[in-house]
Amino acid sequence: MKSKLVLYAFAAIGLLFGVSVSAQSYAITNAKIVTVSGATIEKGTVVVRDGLIESVGPDARVPADAQVFDGTGLTVYPGFTDAFSNLGLAAPARPTTGGGPGGGGGGQAAAAAAAAQAPSSNSNYPAGLRPEYSTIDDVRAGESQFDANRNAGFTTALSVGRERIFNGQSALIDLAGDSVSEMTVKSPVAMHISFSTIPGQYPGSLLGTFSALRQMFNDARRLDELNKMYAANPKGMKRPEADKSLEALIPVLNRQMTVVFNANQENEIARALDLAKEYNLKAIIAGGQEADKFINRLKSQDVAVLLSLNFPKRTAAANPDADPESLETLRFRANVPKVAGKLAAAGVKFAFQSGGATSVNDFFTSINRSTENGLSKDAAVRAMTLAPAEIFGVSDRMGSVEAGKIANLTVVKGDLFANQRTITHVFVDGKLFEPKAPEPPAGRGPGGRGPQRTDGAASESNGGPANVGGTYSISIQTPDGGITGSLNIVQTGSTLTGTMTTDLGSVPLRDGRVTANGMSFAGTVSVGGQSIDFTVQAAVSGNQLSGSVTSAMGSMPMTGTKNP
Amino acid sequence: MNRIVGIFSILILAASIAFAQGKGEVLIKNATVLTASKGTLTGTDILIRDGKIARIGKGLTAGSGAKVIDATGKFVSPGIIDAHSHSMLSAINEGSLAVTSMTRTRDMLDPNDITIYRALAGGVTSALLLHGSANPIGGQSTTVKFKWGHPVEDYPIADAPLGIKFALGENVKRSSFNPQPGQTFRYPRTRMGTMEVIRDAFRRARDYKQAWDDYRAKKTKVPPRVDEELQPLVEILEGKRLVHCHGYRSDEHLNILRIAEEFGFKVGTLQHGLEAYKIAPEIAKHGAGVSIFTDSWSYKLEAYDAIPYNAYILWKNGVTVSINSDSDERMRRLNLDAAKVMKYGGVPEEDALKMITLNPAKQLGIDKRTGSVEVGKDGDLVIWSEHPFSPYSHPEITMIEGEVYFDRAADIAKRSDLAKEREALEKLDVNRAPGAGGGPPQRPTERRAEERDEAEHGDGGNR
Repeated sequence: MKSKLVLYAFAAIGLLFGVSVSAQSYAITNAKIVTVSGATIEKGTVVVRDGLIESVGPDARVPADAQVFDGTGLTVYPGFTDAFSNLGLAAPARPTTGGGPGGGGGGQAAAAAAAAQAPSSNSNYPAGLRPEYSTIDDVRAGESQFDANRNAGFTTALSVGRERIFNGQSALIDLAGDSVSEMTVKSPVAMHISFSTIPGQYPGSLLGTFSALRQMFNDARRLDELNKMYAANPKGMKRPEADKSLEALIPVLNRQMTVVFNANQENEIARALDLAKEYNLKAIIAGGQEADKFINRLKSQDVAVLLSLNFPKRTAAANPDADPESLETLRFRANVPKVAGKLAAAGVKFAFQSGGATSVNDFFTSINRSTENGLSKDAAVRAMTLAPAEIFGVSDRMGSVEAGKIANLTVVKGDLFANQRTITHVFVDGKLFEPKAPEPPAGRGPGGRGPQRTDGAASESNGGPANVGGTYSISIQTPDGGITGSLNIVQTGSTLTGTMTTDLGSVPLRDGRVTANGMSFAGTVSVGGQSIDFTVQAAVSGNQLSGSVTSAMGSMPMTGTKNP
Repeated sequence: MNRIVGIFSILILAASIAFAQGKGEVLIKNATVLTASKGTLTGTDILIRDGKIARIGKGLTAGSGAKVIDATGKFVSPGIIDAHSHSMLSAINEGSLAVTSMTRTRDMLDPNDITIYRALAGGVTSALLLHGSANPIGGQSTTVKFKWGHPVEDYPIADAPLGIKFALGENVKRSSFNPQPGQTFRYPRTRMGTMEVIRDAFRRARDYKQAWDDYRAKKTKVPPRVDEELQPLVEILEGKRLVHCHGYRSDEHLNILRIAEEFGFKVGTLQHGLEAYKIAPEIAKHGAGVSIFTDSWSYKLEAYDAIPYNAYILWKNGVTVSINSDSDERMRRLNLDAAKVMKYGGVPEEDALKMITLNPAKQLGIDKRTGSVEVGKDGDLVIWSEHPFSPYSHPEITMIEGEVYFDRAADIAKRSDLAKEREALEKLDVNRAPGAGGGPPQRPTERRAEERDEAEHGDGGNR
C-alpha cells in the first residue's frame, strides 16, 4: 500500500514535470503567415505547442499559457529545408573515391588506404559498393553543431555523405535535439549513388561503375526471387546466400525506396535517367544544374530534382597565355540561374539544396539570382519548404504552416529576399531559437561543417589568418596528363601541416603557411627512386583552390575543390 | 500585317521541324558523284526523301518544299565511316580486370564532345566507338552516326550489329605496368597468358549458356544469374556480336583467328593489323575484315614491321580493308589516308574510296543502310569542294539522313555571332577571372579529362 502511494507520487511529479517542459507553448500574433500549402495570411496568429503547430489563422486563439510574440512586421514561413547536405556527419578523414586512372596500377595505394579506412564489414562487396550503409548511424547528436544553419532559418536537412559509389541511405533530420533519435524525422529516405570509381580496382573507371551497378541490380533481383521461392518451399532447394548488400537493393528494385543520383551535368543526368529507366527505378536527380535540358524526360519518368544552389563561377585567375574558356563552359555558368525558373514553369518537381557550398549566404544569393531569372518568389519558398517535404514523402507532417504539423517555423523580419535578411525566431520541433546577431560574414555553410572563411576579406575583417584547412580533392596537369589526389591541410594559426596524396604516394608537407590569398607549402616526392623537391603556391577562393606545383622539372597547374 | 508575320513564322517553324526529323526532300543538283559502288557519275542529281536516297539521275525534280543544293563543280561522296574511334567517350579503358566485357561504351557517350563536329567537318558521318586496349577482352562497342546537336539517344545506330573490343600484345601486357608496393601485377603479363584468358572466358561463357539452356529446359529449378560479363561472350558464340580485335603482330592475329575457329565464330575485324599483309590469305580464308592505318609505323616496337603496301596486299587477296583514324584529329583527314593507297601499290580509285566508306560499313554490318551512294540507302553524303583525294579539297556540306550537320558557309557566317556571344558571356560576373596571375595554360589534351589511358598514352599516341 505504502509502495503504491510512492509510485503515485512519482507519477504525479513526472506528469507535472512533463507538462512544464513539453507543453511549452508560443504564439506569434499580428504576423504575415506564408503557409505555402494555402493562401498567405496577411495578419494572423500561429500557436505552437508541444512540438506541433496547434493552430494557425487570422483569428487563432492565443492560449493563456502561451509566451506571446508580437509579430508586427514579421513573416512566418515553414522552416527551411536543405534538401541535400551532410549536416551532422563527421568529415571523412580523406576522400575514399575519385575519378582515378582508368587502367594500370595507378591509384592502388589510394585504394588500399581507402579500403583500410573503410568501416569493417563482412559484405561481399568492396567499400565503394555497399548500399546497406545507413547515414543515420554516423549522425552526431547535439544541436550546437547546427547553430549557423539554424540562425539562417534552416530547420531540416537531408543528410548523406558523398563518398563511394553507393553513398549510403540518407536521413532527414531536424536541426535540434540532444539525441539522434529526437533529431530523426525519417530514415532511411533514399538510396544515394554517385557515378564515381574505386581507384586501383574494379570498377576503376566510369565504364566499370555502370556495369558493376548493373550486375548488383541483376543479382539483387535474382536474390529477391530466390528468397521468395525458398520461403514458399525450402525443401529440395539450396538456401539462397544471405547478402546484406544485395538485400539492401531489393527495396530499390521494387520501387519501395527512391534512388538519388548525384548528377549535375548533362551527361550525368542522361546516364542517371537511362539507368533508372533500364531498371524501372524511382529516381531523383541531385545537382541538376543542367536539368533544364531534360524537361520532357524528367516529367515522363516522374523524376524530381534536388537543385544545387552552389552556382558555378570562374575560379581560375586570368593568364594572358591561357586559351580562352570554352563557349560551353561560359554558357553553362550563365544558364544555371535560369534552371529553377524553367523547371518551375514546366512543372518539374524540385527542391533547393546547398550543393556543398561553403557559405550559408550562397544559398540565398543563388535563390535571388534564380528569382531574377524567371523563378517566382512563391516557387522559391516552396522549393525550400513544402517541395522537399513532398519529394521525401513527409508532406503530411511538415513543409507548411498548418495545424497539426511539426512546428518547424522560420520567422523573418522584413523581406526574405533582401540582401540582408533578419531571422528573428526559428522553431525546430517546437523548440524556440532566437538568433542574436546578424549572420557572420562567412558562417558555416549549409552543407559544410566547421568554421570556413570564403575569402581573404573575411579574414581581414577578423584580423586573423584565413582558414584554409581541410581536405581538398586536387588535380595536377603534368606533361604526361592529369594526376589526381588529395590534399589534407591542418591549420594552426597561420602555419599549415598535413599531407599531399597522389599516385606518387603520400608525402608530408613542410614550410606550410597561409598566404594573402591562399596557401603555400613544400614537399618531396620520390619518382623512380629519385627524390624531387617541389613547392606549391595556391589561391583559395570559396571551396576552390587554384595554383601551381613547381619543381626542377618546371611548373604545373594545380586545381582543387575542398571536400564538403 | 501581324497575322501575316505570324503565319509566316508558323510555316518556318513547321519547315524546320520537318527538316530536323529528316523528313521532306533534299535535291542535290549537277554533282560529280563518287558512288563507291557503281563508279563515278558526272552531272548527276541526287534526291533524298525522308532521309533516304530516293533517286539518282540527271534532270531530277523535287516538290516545292524541297531543299535544293546546287553542286555544280562539286563532288559528292558517301559519308566517311571510321571503323576505329574513341571519340565522344567519357572513359575509354576499364583496365582493372583482364576481361571487361561487362562494360559498355554506350554508357560513356558525350554528345557535347567538339570532336564530333570536327569529324563532320572532315566528312565523317559514322564511327565505331571502341573500348581501349588494356584487356584481352575489353568492353562493348557502339556504332554511331554523328548527329551533332541531337540528344545522346539519337547517336547509336539502332539496327547495327553488336560489337566488342578484344586486344592482344603490348598494351594488354603493360596494363599492369607499375603496381604499387604490396600490389600484384594484373594477369596476364605475356602474349600466351592473353590467349589463355580469352580461351578461359569462352569456356566460362559456354558453361553459362549451358546453365541457362538447362534452366529453360526445366532441367534445373533455380534461375542462373544474369551475368553482365559472360552474356556478351555468349552473343559472340551465337554470331550476334562482332569481335573487333586490336593487334599488331601477325602471329597473334593468327592466334585469335584460331581461337575463333575453335569456338565456332568469325572475327569481325582485325584492328590495326600492321603485319596483316604477312597473313593476307589466311585472313581472307577466315573471312575477317582488317582495319588499318595507311602509313603510320615505328611508333612502337610492335609497329616496326608495318609497310604502306599493307592495304594493297590485303585488297589484292580479297580481304575487306578499311582505313581508320583511332584519333580525334586524324579522323578529319581520312580522305587523304585513303588517297595514299592509290600511291602505294596502285589500288584503283573506287576501291580506295571504299576503304573509308563501303568497306567499314560492311565491317560494322551497316552496309545495307550506308556506305555508298545508292537508291534506298540513308542520305549520308558529303559535298566536297574538289575531288576528296585532292589535298586541296574540303567538305562543304556533310549530311546524315538528309539533314545537314555541317555546312561550311553557314559555319563561317555564324562565327561573328559566336564571337559576339562570347564577348557578352565573358563580361558576366560568373565568367570573370578572379584577379590575374594564373598558372600557365593547360596543354591541349586530345582526350577528355576523365580519360587516363596509360596503356595507350604510353605508346606516344592513342593507337
